[in-house]
Amino acid sequence: MAEVKTLHFESNPPPFGHEMRKCFSFDPEYINMNHGSYGSLPSPVAEAIKPYYAMAEANPDLFHRFTSIDLIRNVRERMAKFIGAAHTDEVVFVPNASHGLNAILRDFIWEEEDIICSCNTTYKSISKTAQYISDIPPHPENSQFTILFPTTHNEIIENWRTYLQSLNEARARSAHRLGRRPKIVAVIDSIISVPGALLPWKEMVKTCKEEDVWSVVDAAHSIGQELDLNLAEADPDFWVTNCHKWLYAKRSCALLYVPKRNQHIIKASFPTSHAYISPKKRNGPNFVEQYEWNGTLDFVPYISASCALDFRAWLGGEHVINAYCHRIAIEGGKRLAQILGTEMIDQDKDFQFTLNMVNVAVPFPATMSSDFEIDMAFRRKLLIKKKIYPAFFYHNGKWWTRCSAQVWSQVEDFEVLGEVILEACKEIIDEFGDGSERTMTDVDDNMENLAVREPNQEVVCIYTR
Amino acid sequence: MSSSQSIEPVTLDDVLKPNQLFRHHRALKFGHEFLQYYSFKKGFLNLNNGSFGALPKVITEACNELTAWQEENTDYYYRIGFIPPLIGVREQLAKLVGASDVDEIVMVANTSTGMGLVLRNFLWKSGDIIVRCNTTYGTVYKTIQYIHDTTPGVEISQFELLFPTTRQTVLEGWKRHIDKVKQSAPQGSKIVAVIDSIVANPGAWMPWKEMVKICKDVGVWAIVDGAHSVGQEPLNLSTSGADFFVSSAHKWLNAKRGCAFLWFSKKSRDIMLTTIPTSASYVSPGPERPPTNIISQFQYNGTIDYTPYLSVYFALQWREWIGGEAAIQEYCNKLAREGGKRLAETMSTQVMDPDGEFTLAMVNVVLPFSKEFSATYDASVSTALRNKLLSQNMFAVTFYHQQLWWTRVSAQIWNEISDFEVLGKAFVSICSEIVAEHKNARIPPESKAESFHSYLEHPFPGAVACDPKDGVGAHRPVTATTVVPVGYHTHLASIRP
Repeated sequence: MAEVKTLHFESNPPPFGHEMRKCFSFDPEYINMNHGSYGSLPSPVAEAIKPYYAMAEANPDLFHRFTSIDLIRNVRERMAKFIGAAHTDEVVFVPNASHGLNAILRDFIWEEEDIICSCNTTYKSISKTAQYISDIPPHPENSQFTILFPTTHNEIIENWRTYLQSLNEARARSAHRLGRRPKIVAVIDSIISVPGALLPWKEMVKTCKEEDVWSVVDAAHSIGQELDLNLAEADPDFWVTNCHKWLYAKRSCALLYVPKRNQHIIKASFPTSHAYISPKKRNGPNFVEQYEWNGTLDFVPYISASCALDFRAWLGGEHVINAYCHRIAIEGGKRLAQILGTEMIDQDKDFQFTLNMVNVAVPFPATMSSDFEIDMAFRRKLLIKKKIYPAFFYHNGKWWTRCSAQVWSQVEDFEVLGEVILEACKEIIDEFGDGSERTMTDVDDNMENLAVREPNQEVVCIYTR
Repeated sequence: MSSSQSIEPVTLDDVLKPNQLFRHHRALKFGHEFLQYYSFKKGFLNLNNGSFGALPKVITEACNELTAWQEENTDYYYRIGFIPPLIGVREQLAKLVGASDVDEIVMVANTSTGMGLVLRNFLWKSGDIIVRCNTTYGTVYKTIQYIHDTTPGVEISQFELLFPTTRQTVLEGWKRHIDKVKQSAPQGSKIVAVIDSIVANPGAWMPWKEMVKICKDVGVWAIVDGAHSVGQEPLNLSTSGADFFVSSAHKWLNAKRGCAFLWFSKKSRDIMLTTIPTSASYVSPGPERPPTNIISQFQYNGTIDYTPYLSVYFALQWREWIGGEAAIQEYCNKLAREGGKRLAETMSTQVMDPDGEFTLAMVNVVLPFSKEFSATYDASVSTALRNKLLSQNMFAVTFYHQQLWWTRVSAQIWNEISDFEVLGKAFVSICSEIVAEHKNARIPPESKAESFHSYLEHPFPGAVACDPKDGVGAHRPVTATTVVPVGYHTHLASIRP
């Protein structure tokens, strides 16, 4: 069986911190504080995958009909072990987390009075997916659970149980009326994007089971950031993660995990595969085969996930990498909050919400506009002018910045960022006012970013991932 | 390269080094001399551009630079950088294919995705009818199956396209079929027809514009699967009458794999509610939704590598430099016809389309098996053909149609007529080997079927070795890089064209 070659390194890795930039190909002037959005490709991984690209061109038919299939099976086996899936055949590759989550949500057979629940903090494209599903017949209900920071894991767990119980009461009434029991499908983030915060998702999944609710876990940020994943134990109904974020795979590469008991829910891959068999003609799951071929893509990103694991092993392995990143996130976050004169969103003494991303309030007055033009202003001033950039977002009445701590980060970066943000805030208040003449506006309305082309083709808004 | 990180729109020429090759050298003659511009393994005879395309070396280099640009400042790239070049690519494609506006073109990963997007955006209800052909490409064929399976009351009406035939016969048959479907359709239902511009198996250029007109004349939606069209035939989509058209740029247009476009007329745009995955910029249907919302959605709907889409910019420069669309297509079409004849002579069989009505750059020739051997479909024969071709360091597509085994050969600018002779000789020995080995191989019953299509309903799951020395059902892992003799079967290999 064709196997992905293990990477071997001759020298020792550079130390963590700025010297680690040697392993990445950033613009030397750019301070990358937003790894979380799109990931970063290490140069050794970029090199290691070149032979696979060469294979794809040396004999496209051999590669696409045979070799790549083998190689990807090989990588799936490795990834399945890495995330603690019970079987390799519960794990397939998809281009990105949004794609995987759409495959799941779209393939439920929706009926009237079914309920899809997401949170106010659910990633926008996924809450829009839920919105779309309820926009089309048979119009299942769209329900929202609210998480407002600052909060605690315990508070969230309790509120989640109360929320699901109330949904169950509504369901019981529907069931009585309809003569059948509707389903409830919950989208749960393992790690929210904005704010970048680890949720007690395993407990929330358990509560789902107790309340007979499907658990669809958006774990986009988990692999490579959350340690010791064990999906057989956590046992969500569905789980999707991006390998091109914290795992250092090439864009775009994600895993879709569907335990065997639920594979019948996903009737067809997207796009539908040649290997699709009509459900009534099936005599077993028709899951892995559909995901092994459903259209020509660049398959090398899927192969790169294995090279990325080798690179990470060379750096010292998952625990070593994440211990460093976590420490920098906490120390850096504290330092940034100090300089800005504000606070971290994670007020817990053990920082239970913080893995490698830290969220610090931006020093604006409470009346500051929540308009996306503020986000755009930060983008112009920081990304373009100052060449340092974390993500910005508005949550529960405040602007925040979300910084990703990575193996090339140092606390000094947060200090530089602090000064830059202070300056930018002054400029922004000068340009836009401090909102004291406006009323406070709703979080949701103002982060409704339509990607539009301005007449002079100026900046287009991309929602923070 | 990093100099142009600005808020101002940049073209790829501003961002990347200008290509030296395009500036200085004159291109060489089409034929084997052109192999130097491609990265095929030495001696590999590539007669199957149609399936996966081939990326010229200069475009591979440009793609490496695009990746480096992406990694330099990834936030810049994804929030600002890629946007103007992507619009530029869409504008170039719009011009190339005769769209009337850049906002009629959006980029998708491949034709299967584009076709899936269109078919799944229709709001299907009971009584609706989807028209497909027996020759509709597997992923699209199955998408239609899936819609039928998951939406009660949506019917499939299948038109049988049987080769050899004539364009006249096809059009007459199609008209009869569409008229009949229209007459029997319930009131208020919609009929959606999927038409291949160029069928995959066999590789046949269809009178698709006339077929579209037949549909439009009676109010039937026309979705054209044009996977093979761009770069193989000139296109003028705004006058084609089609409602939707999808084509892969990584087949005949030299873009990097993972690049296709979806074209829709302004009228048809209203069908497109959402991308898949749904974008953060999705707006629910209603008065608040701008008519161009779907265009915004297509700009970003999940993190992907935009390099394949952006590679079109270089692909078009490459094609201009080597001689231009007309010269390329003329060479390939002529070679397909002459090559097909030579191939048929070498194998003592016949060309499917001797008059060339259906032939652009792909040609189909019967394989030298006896009628008895070909009477029913056997997936193991399909696999054996592929394996043995690869073991001889060559490839062309093989397929089963109308109780005959065929080969579909792609003629490209690196091919010459001698390639068809080499292929023909190889097939003569391969086919007789297969017949001999097949006699003694223990083929699982699920491998056989009346027709390819009945096999497609239930392809054989998993890989099973049925070497004469093994018992049937003995499992072995696939050893894809080692080509194995007849009987070694994977359902994937046997059903993907």
